[in-house]
Formats: sequence, structure tokens, C-alpha cells
Amino acid sequence: MARLLEHDAKAILAARGIPVPRGEAVSSPEEARRATVARGGAVVVKALVPVGKRGKAGAVRRASDPEAAAEATAVLLGRQVGGFPVERVLVEEAVPVAQEHYLAIVLDADDRTMRVLASREGGIEVEELARREGGIASLELAPGEVVMPYQARQLWRSTGVRGPALPRLGQLTVALFQAFTELEAELLEVNPLAETATGELVALDAAVVLDDAALYRHPALAALALNSPAWRPPTPLEREVDAINAAEPYRGSARYLELEGGDIGFLCGGGGASLLLFDALLRAGGRPANYAEIGGNPTETKVAALARVVLAKPGVRGLFVAHNLTNNTQVDVLARGVVQALREADRLPPDFPVVARETGVNEAEGRAIFEAAGVRWLGEEATLSQAARIMVQAMRERYGESDGDPARP
Amino acid sequence: MAILLDRNTRVLVQGITGREARMVTAHMLAYGTKVVCGVTPGRGGEEVAGVPVYDTVAEAVAAHQPTAALVSVPPAATLDAALEAIEAGLRLLLIATERVPKHDALCLLYAAHAARVRVIGPNSVGLINPSQRVKLGAIGGDRPERAFTPGRVGIISRSGGMTAELGLMLRQRGFGVSTAVSVGGDALIGTPPADLLPLFEADPETDAVVLFGEPGTRFEEDVAEALADGRFSKPLFALVAGRFTESLPEGTAFGHAAAIIRGGSGRPSAKLTALRQAGAWATSDLDELFRFLDTLASSRADRKPEQH
Repeated sequence: MARLLEHDAKAILAARGIPVPRGEAVSSPEEARRATVARGGAVVVKALVPVGKRGKAGAVRRASDPEAAAEATAVLLGRQVGGFPVERVLVEEAVPVAQEHYLAIVLDADDRTMRVLASREGGIEVEELARREGGIASLELAPGEVVMPYQARQLWRSTGVRGPALPRLGQLTVALFQAFTELEAELLEVNPLAETATGELVALDAAVVLDDAALYRHPALAALALNSPAWRPPTPLEREVDAINAAEPYRGSARYLELEGGDIGFLCGGGGASLLLFDALLRAGGRPANYAEIGGNPTETKVAALARVVLAKPGVRGLFVAHNLTNNTQVDVLARGVVQALREADRLPPDFPVVARETGVNEAEGRAIFEAAGVRWLGEEATLSQAARIMVQAMRERYGESDGDPARP
Repeated sequence: MAILLDRNTRVLVQGITGREARMVTAHMLAYGTKVVCGVTPGRGGEEVAGVPVYDTVAEAVAAHQPTAALVSVPPAATLDAALEAIEAGLRLLLIATERVPKHDALCLLYAAHAARVRVIGPNSVGLINPSQRVKLGAIGGDRPERAFTPGRVGIISRSGGMTAELGLMLRQRGFGVSTAVSVGGDALIGTPPADLLPLFEADPETDAVVLFGEPGTRFEEDVAEALADGRFSKPLFALVAGRFTESLPEGTAFGHAAAIIRGGSGRPSAKLTALRQAGAWATSDLDELFRFLDTLASSRADRKPEQH
């Protein structure tokens, strides 16, 4: 689910024959003024953040002259839009619009197919379009197929489009589908796709979502792809975990998502068990401070590095380590990594409650290492739900029932 | 009788000379799986754990007539390997590879569908049939008995790790497993949970099925539909994890690539509701799942899952 910023998305589409407004990304009011002069008319100033519904958030502004563009830029820069700080804006020529259409290509995993979606009316959310009677026309394509211009024209004709725009929409759809397969995208969306009074087409906005599993085949795109939670830029601790994985890409995987508040450090795995364990902590009244996963038989170095990150978040005053019965991840290696990080941070039981439900490969050695460090070790006799309750209980025993904010003494 | 494979199934391992595949091949052989041949292009003539290695699938098929393949190759080679196996006439592919590019996955699933080849995965840890002592993939590691004891409960899981955990928890409570299938952690997989239900329905050795679900996809909703339609009539116990992801903004994947809420769909709470309305025993709490199973076992002493 790698996303691109609008100006990068538009540059990529423009290179593949999709017309876009002339524009440039700038990071100061002065640059915005110059960019507007260069456009030679009215412009639109758009915050460059990887979120939708920017119009509603006031992050898209029209400016009739260079001064107004500089002002709009000054207002937008430094603002937060959808959790992302605006560091740059896109200044592009204002396009006189006669009609707004909608066009998207999606990889539809539910139906295991590729789909072209077209609507005569654009400029509104696709969810809203889908609710309207006959709102979206759809064309399904199997892998290896291409869209012929006549198929695209039929599709657009079925939405009610006629006149000189029809063949142009056909050609543009063919080009967009080619881009979709070439980029190995999950989604290419042009909304609105503007038709001018003379029937010219221009992509006023473009959303590109790439498959991060395919980025290795597209190094130029990989450099542009944004990797963050959907609601804010990565935190410094999250960036640290990216670096940990980059340092040791082939042995095990570490993931870390920082959450607001909380006092229990969460260091679990695998993919399914972590979801279950997090739910179970919440159900027991616990407050996890993060979501982290470690698995795929990681090295001790990687485990220790991730554990350090989990412990480093302010407010963390206990640690929960748990996995499903492991197939290949070695419990002794996990134990060494976790205990090493606890020692370095000088956060050891009983002052700092740690519960580990770790069972599977090299379990006896792992148990011995955990227990020697005072960690409460649990084996297969404890269910994952029970382990979560024991963790929450350990927090209560250490910090009292009042269970106040971790910031308080 | 078993679903998908039995002790006579002849298995080919693609990418058999890789580090992971070598280990998995040894574990499969030790458990009882008939691994008859392997393929690594350029390494024909070698042996892995006594299993002969060929350069091409066609040669391996001509010499050993395997019907099932374990695909254990890097992501970039997965589409190629799967198409080679399909063309050579293999009937069942278990794709273990993680992070297969989505366009490649789509392409290989299309080809498999056209050739009527069953695909489990990608991103599957494997499938196991304890009564036949046969497994395909890493499932259960070198000690499959620890998690999987013969019995009458089927397991369908979107998480490889939870397949083993559920087997272990069932064993502790006196239940055994007929067949356990890790369907794969991706959204684009060959055999989503609902596609396995007809097999378990027809299997006289399965009395009930446990399903492990996650956020994202339509898989659990499709299972609910199969229940509501009467296409599956045995008791279904569903554990759907990840309710907490609903309180976070959507568009972020948790754990598996497919575990993502998008455009308002894929919420665990909606999945649980759909499953319950269709007559499943559905919960997000593991311990409640076991209470359900105990209830069923004691209320149906005439036809209960095997107890020890």
C-alpha cells in the first residue's frame, strides 16, 4: 500500500501520456509567487500530503494572482492536514472546467480481477458515486489483457458521454490502463478528470497506490513511495525500526507502530496472534503503548534492537512478550534479545513487570533465560488470552489498582 | 479419507535446494510425506535429504509422477515456478512464498483457475493431515505432533502461526484435528476459507470446523454466506482477531498484507455479526472459543469431536 504525493503521481502519469495541469511543487511563499508568474494566470495551490478529501479540509485554494498564491502558500505551510504537516504545496495552472468525470483502475482482490471504473460525474468521492443509480460503469480485465480503445469508448458511452470528449476519453483510458500494468499498481485514480469547454481532457487530481511487494522492480518509484501509517508521518521510533530491518533484511522481520498513550510495551508475533493478543490486553483492561511484531526466526541482534525501541517510548512501564506456538522462531534467541535490551535499559523485574508467553523451538533454554532475569515465563498451559490477563494483573500488582496515568508518580 | 492430500500423495518441492526448503523437506519426510522429487533450475543431478533434484518440473514429473507441489522459491520467481508446475500437470500447489507481487499473484491464480489446479497460498505455512501423518509445508515444524493430534475438527486459518496454536489448544482440551489448512496471509489467495467448506462438509472425518479470521477482505463474510445458504451444515467456530484496528484510522495493514480495513469494509465486528447471524459460534476471544467447543462437545455426546 505505498502511496505517492500528488505531484509525483502526476509526473508519472504525464510521462505516460495522461495530460495534467502545468505546475510545480514549492516550499515557500516566494517560490509560489514565482511559480504563479511562470504559469501566467490564475493558479490552484494544493497542500502536498498523502490524504484524501483535501478540498473539504481547506487544503486546496484558488489564487488569481502571484500575491494571492503566496498568501495561500503561507497559510498552508506548517498546517496539519489529515495528521500530516504541510511541508510543500503544489502550484498549478487553474483549468477552466466544463464537466468533471471519474476514472480509476483497481486491482480488485475480492473478485481476483482488474477493473476499470468510469463515471460521467466526477469530483466527488467514489463511495458517494457508487451509491448513485448507475453511478459507475465497470469493465473487468484478466491478466495479460489490454483495453482496446473501442472497449473504453463503449464504457464511457454507457455512462452517457458523447461528443468530441468520447474518443479522447477512450484513448486516455487505454493509456491509464497501460500505466497501471506497467507500474504494477493497486490503484490509479483520476478524480476529477476534467473536460474543458473544447473537449480537452486534464487530470486535475491523481491518486497512485503501488504494491510494495513489487517495488523492487521499480527502483525509481520506490524512492518516491511513502511508508507510514495512514494517519500521520512515521515517528522517530518507527524510522528506527525501518533502519533495523534495512540493516538485516534477510533474517526475520520487525514491525513497530507507535500508539498514543499506554504503558504496556507490546512485543509479540506472529501476524494473527498479535491481533488476538492486542485485543486480549484491551479486554483485560490493559493499555498497550505500541503495536510491534517480531517473527520469521529473527537474530538476537534484531530482537534486542526492536525491544530497545519498544522500551524507549516514554510512559512504558511494563513489557508483554508473546507469540503463538512457534514454527521456526527460536524462543532462546528471543529471550536473549529481550533480556539484553531490558538489562541495557536497566528495567528489570520485579520493578518493571515483564511477562513472556513463549513456547516452541528451544523452549527450555528460552524459559531458563527469561526466568534467570526474573521474567514471568508462561508456556502452553496459558492461553494467549490468559497471558494477556496475567500481564495486566502484573501491572496492577506493581502500580496499584488506581491504574492512573503513567505520567503520574 | 482426508481433504486435499493423503499419505499416498506424491510431492514435488520447487526450490528444494534453498535453505528453508531443505529444512522443510527433511521435516516433511520425517513426518511421513512422500516427497518424491525436487526442482531447482541449474542444480539437476543433486540430492536433498535423499530426494533427487531436477532442472525442470517436466523432467521431475516424467520420472516420478508427483501430483502436489510445494512452491518454496523467492517472490520474484514465484509466478514462473507456479506456471511451470501448472503446465506440467500438477493438481495441487502450496505456495509458501511471502510478498509475491500482487499482479503476479493475480496472473498465477488466473492460470491455475483455467487449468483447474488448486492453489493454497501464497504466504501459506502449509496444510497437515495428522491421521495420515502427511503435511505439505513448514506447518508444525519438526514436531507436528505437538500441535496436531488426529481427531475430528478441521482448522482453516488466515494466520500460519495461529494454525499451530489452535491445534495445540485443541489437543490440550481433548480434541484432535482432521485437516488443518493455513490459507495464506494475503488478500489474493487461491483458496479462501469459504472454498474449503465443501471439502470439510463432504469429509466424514470432520465433525466441526474452527476458522481463524482477521480484519480485511470478504473471506469471513463469504463463509457466513455459505452457512446461511446451507452449503455448510456442520458446526463452525470462528475466532476473528483484530477488533482494536477498528478504533484506528483505516488504511493501515496489521500483521498480514490482507489485514487492512479499507473503504469501510473488512471490519472484524461486521464479520462477527455476519457469522453469528448465519449460525456460527463466533467470538474475538480465544477462551470463549474453547467454551463454545466444550459446550458443543458435552451437548452432543453421541457425535462429539474425538475426546481423549
